[in-house]
Amino acid sequence: MPMLDTTRRMGRDGQGVLPGFTHIGYGTSRGTYDEMVDETGAVRPHWQSFADALSQLSESEMRARWDRGQRLIRDNGVTYNVYGDPEGMDRPWQLDPLPLLVSSKEWAFLEAALKQRATLMSLILADLYGPQRLLTEGLLPPALVFGNPGFLRPLHGAQGQAGKQLQFYAADVARSPDGTWWVVGDRTEAPSGAGYALENRIIVSRVLPDFYRTANVQRLAGWFLKARDALIGLAPRNPDNPRVVVLTPGPYNETYFEHAYLARYMGLTLVEGEDLTVRENRVYLKTMEGLKPVEVILRRTDGSYCDPLDLRDDSTLGVPGLVGAVQAGTVAVANGLGSGLIETPAFMPFLPGLCRHLLGEELRLPGIASWWCGQDKERAYVLANLHRLAVRPAFTVQAPITDASRLSSAERAQLAARIEAAPYLWVAQEAVHLSSAPAWVEGRLETRAVTLRCHAVMTRDGPEIMPGGLCRTTAPGTLSLSMQHGGGSKDAWVLSDAPVSHVSLLRSRNAPAKTVRGSRDLPSRVADNTFWLGRYLERCEDTTRVLRAAMSRAVEGSAGGGDPELAVVLDLFAMLGHLPHDLDRREPAAQDEAVRLLITGNMDVANFVGLRGVIQNLQRVATVVRDRLSLDTWRSINRLGEGLAALRKPAAVSPDEMLGALNETIMILSALSGLCSENMTRGPGWRFMDVGRRLERGLHALDLLSALLSSPPDDVGPALDVVLDLSDSVMTYRARYLAAPQVVPVLDLLLVDETNPRSLGFQLARLMDHADALAPYLADRMFTPEQRIVMGLLTGARTLDPALVTLAEPKGGEVRLIDLVGTMRSGLWDFSETLTRQYFVHAAEVSEPISPFVELLAAKDRTS
Amino acid sequence: MSDSPLHTVLAIQQQQREEVAAAAKAAAADPTAPVTYRVTHETRYDYTQPVTISHHLAHLRPRQLATQQVHSHRLTITPQPATTAERRDYFGNSAFTFTLEETHDALAVVADSLVTVAPPRLPDPARTPPWEGVRDLVRDARRRDLLDACQYTFESPGVPLLPAVKAYALASFPAGRPLLAAVLDLTHRIHGEFKYDPTATTVATPLADVLKARRGVCQDFAHLQIACLRSLGLPARYVSGYVLTRSLDEIEKALEGGDASHAWISVYLPDGGWVDVDPTNDKLPTREHVTIAWGRDFGDVSPLKGVMMGGGAHTVSVGVTVAPVPRKDAAPPRQQQQQQQQQQTQ
Repeated sequence: MPMLDTTRRMGRDGQGVLPGFTHIGYGTSRGTYDEMVDETGAVRPHWQSFADALSQLSESEMRARWDRGQRLIRDNGVTYNVYGDPEGMDRPWQLDPLPLLVSSKEWAFLEAALKQRATLMSLILADLYGPQRLLTEGLLPPALVFGNPGFLRPLHGAQGQAGKQLQFYAADVARSPDGTWWVVGDRTEAPSGAGYALENRIIVSRVLPDFYRTANVQRLAGWFLKARDALIGLAPRNPDNPRVVVLTPGPYNETYFEHAYLARYMGLTLVEGEDLTVRENRVYLKTMEGLKPVEVILRRTDGSYCDPLDLRDDSTLGVPGLVGAVQAGTVAVANGLGSGLIETPAFMPFLPGLCRHLLGEELRLPGIASWWCGQDKERAYVLANLHRLAVRPAFTVQAPITDASRLSSAERAQLAARIEAAPYLWVAQEAVHLSSAPAWVEGRLETRAVTLRCHAVMTRDGPEIMPGGLCRTTAPGTLSLSMQHGGGSKDAWVLSDAPVSHVSLLRSRNAPAKTVRGSRDLPSRVADNTFWLGRYLERCEDTTRVLRAAMSRAVEGSAGGGDPELAVVLDLFAMLGHLPHDLDRREPAAQDEAVRLLITGNMDVANFVGLRGVIQNLQRVATVVRDRLSLDTWRSINRLGEGLAALRKPAAVSPDEMLGALNETIMILSALSGLCSENMTRGPGWRFMDVGRRLERGLHALDLLSALLSSPPDDVGPALDVVLDLSDSVMTYRARYLAAPQVVPVLDLLLVDETNPRSLGFQLARLMDHADALAPYLADRMFTPEQRIVMGLLTGARTLDPALVTLAEPKGGEVRLIDLVGTMRSGLWDFSETLTRQYFVHAAEVSEPISPFVELLAAKDRTS
Repeated sequence: MSDSPLHTVLAIQQQQREEVAAAAKAAAADPTAPVTYRVTHETRYDYTQPVTISHHLAHLRPRQLATQQVHSHRLTITPQPATTAERRDYFGNSAFTFTLEETHDALAVVADSLVTVAPPRLPDPARTPPWEGVRDLVRDARRRDLLDACQYTFESPGVPLLPAVKAYALASFPAGRPLLAAVLDLTHRIHGEFKYDPTATTVATPLADVLKARRGVCQDFAHLQIACLRSLGLPARYVSGYVLTRSLDEIEKALEGGDASHAWISVYLPDGGWVDVDPTNDKLPTREHVTIAWGRDFGDVSPLKGVMMGGGAHTVSVGVTVAPVPRKDAAPPRQQQQQQQQQQTQ
């Protein structure tokens, strides 16, 4: 069924629904500019072909396509974190499949106007952090600067960023009811949204590929190429191969997805404050190979949080000494520290005058009417007209806007008193009437209010505007447009009159002469998390396999007495802390009870030894190293828990259902193992992940052997069967021995045999390789501590005679299995701790003692 | 006192004691004469766990002023920093940064300064301009000096502009009152209505609590008075420094007690420049105050702060000695009697 009959007109009052399509009609409201249809209800020319194509699409086809789109959003893990959201972290990205179309003619105007505004903003910042002529010439009231917490005093006159404070600028533009554009907000601190715009484009162009191909949509990749070149061009030294990092506040930031995404897309290293260190006024990245100088920082952390020494001392996100490095000019930060100074709407009323003064031309894009209360006339106006204004703190862009028209008179009087107490801290704005655009909402076309966030990057040739942007939507009538407060997004298609050429950042034929480093550095924090990713992956697999063994035996269930193999598996779980120790697991009733406990325990996310708890930890560390994971890996990790989560209430889940979910989990885990072994380059990242995996698997092999110990010495048969099964070694064993399992060959296969990828020996041999490979990264010692530990363990395993291992009291020359397992286990723990200390914590080496008093700063004697 | 070698071990000779007493006596005899002080300021951090790397920022070098000559200044840092740098901060103060890159469990910083302070020429309070005029002049500032004053009229992290503060201030500021007369009245009220009580507040106590409890120390009173003045649109800045805790007449006693790092404020007068006011002591400083640095509030001029990796909990102890010395004396510092005291100083 066609969705929209474009040959028809809307009802004359603008409220019309399309005849015959009452459930998907598109109604606009009087007095609002609609992007798609004009006031007569006719489709606007630049929307015509899109609307035609849309009308050819049946509702069910659109639904099917959009289901795929939603799937892509989840698979790609596009999220926007909302602080205090009851849904918790990582709320899926809200995207509408229908793009906002902008005609080429309109774009030409917007582009020119935004270039002018970006240039203007850059000049204002350069002046305010420099000579401050705008103040001495009376063009700006001093309160806007000195009363503005965004003015970071230590950066005034800072050599390293003089005149270059603004590298990235964004403006939120919207359309007034008469169809003209205006700016509703400026972003100069660390503008977000460019990455989301790109991701929106990728998703929408896959949902509507036919539309996209025929519409001559201007591509976004070229802008990112320019952005990358601009960043490289900022490097104060090493211009051919500078190290460029993206500084993020971390996974709890609302736009962390974008930080990781941009880092990966532009080939930059994603770092948190603790990954950087300042030595002798230079910024270094702490990597596995030691400290590496950093030339350029793409900053996504608010400036005031960037240096706890010189700026906000309550910040844990910063780099102590960064301000000193910027002052010394040894590092370029984009945007410069303190660039947020002018993003307050309090500056808006002054921009037309500043534009004439600084550029000698009229401001092309007006800002929405704003009154800064720091001026008498404006304050008087605001107080007299409070009932129809929106009021916000002048210097906190994130602060919610108060719609004073909705306040009671008492509340309004209270607000007025607050304004009077410190007028310069307040700004009022006229209520905004935004234009509307069609959105696909549960099978219907509805109107949504829209704004467009446009991005500029400063290049050698002046500002470049991204052709497109992040279109943000709210229900009609909503005032605040921050994603923090809800709302959705759209792709924005800037249409071209001519066919557009294809540029991709990753496979560009006219690649830039200067490319960023081929292999990205591995920060120690990332190495640490990668190590744990490996451990959790393996732990997840081990837990799943043992659970599967329990469930399959519970399903088969031997008639009559308790299943002896199930008893062994349950003993193993008791040993691993999943089950109480005091059950007699050979009783059928106790086995049923234990199986039920296993199901509920492993379905409980809060139980950290349970499977879902492990999966949650796995996903947590994966989030932290997300920019290092391929999209397929990330998707697989995201899907890991889905099978289990889809099951009904844990108490009602049968072993059979559980088995199905576990088999699915094993498939995904196998895919992940394949991705890791076949698709990851053998850099230090892969190595630490594999170290984590080998270590965990080695510990697991020891756990399995412990199962032999919990069986009566004269009845180890079931235990041997289970152990072989759990270590995937049944086939191997049968091929070799053609007999029922016996202790000594099983020990040989699981402890010593280095050809068996599940054996302890195999893990130790791999760990030895890794320890050897890591050694050169550190100081030139003969053997590193972790080399020594693994060497000892490996030698122990290689020289072990399985025939001399006993489950009972040892006779001459024999060694008890329990002792052997204990020694190996503590050795592996030692290894883990040593590795952590050496590579992840970066504990400074203790230097030789020095004389207690050292005179530092000779007195400069001055004559009195 | 700790027997650690990091500590300045002190023993005062009777002869030096007499020398100091003589200098004090000479100064007391002529109230217009400049006084020279040797100021020793020791800060010591003890950590419960080793610190692997730390970055510090110090405001310890006294400012060179028309009424204050800095003859020498020496900073001794233990253990030895890996890097050091000194620069002028936004407010014109000396800012000294250093980094420790070796593992340590204690840090000692000793600042040793020789400074001569001359009494300022103070204007007649009754003949200073009406306060509203100063407010308007500064608000519409374009001249550099007025712009400089203007930046001290706004809220700052340690000085929020609370409506209650403005109400408190207004009682001293009837229409048309000469600025300095009004400021002195406000100073007198704060001194009389707020109790000096080192147990009532910490460095982090917000101004609203001080106002409510009517108790605090010099830092709180300075922040309070600054907030009062700024809420009326008047420029006021925070001054960090030292004060001689006994008058020059009683210098013998001064040597027995600890002296203190101190805080007071400075108020802008057009043409005349800035005038210091000490709300803790209800007076206009003359020769007993040594100025280190000024800024919007304590946060801008904190004598010593740091960011460290590791360290666990830490304790800080601070000792300050301000001793009058003979004016020509620029000899190396002598070991002087000093008492350890907790960081919260007068």
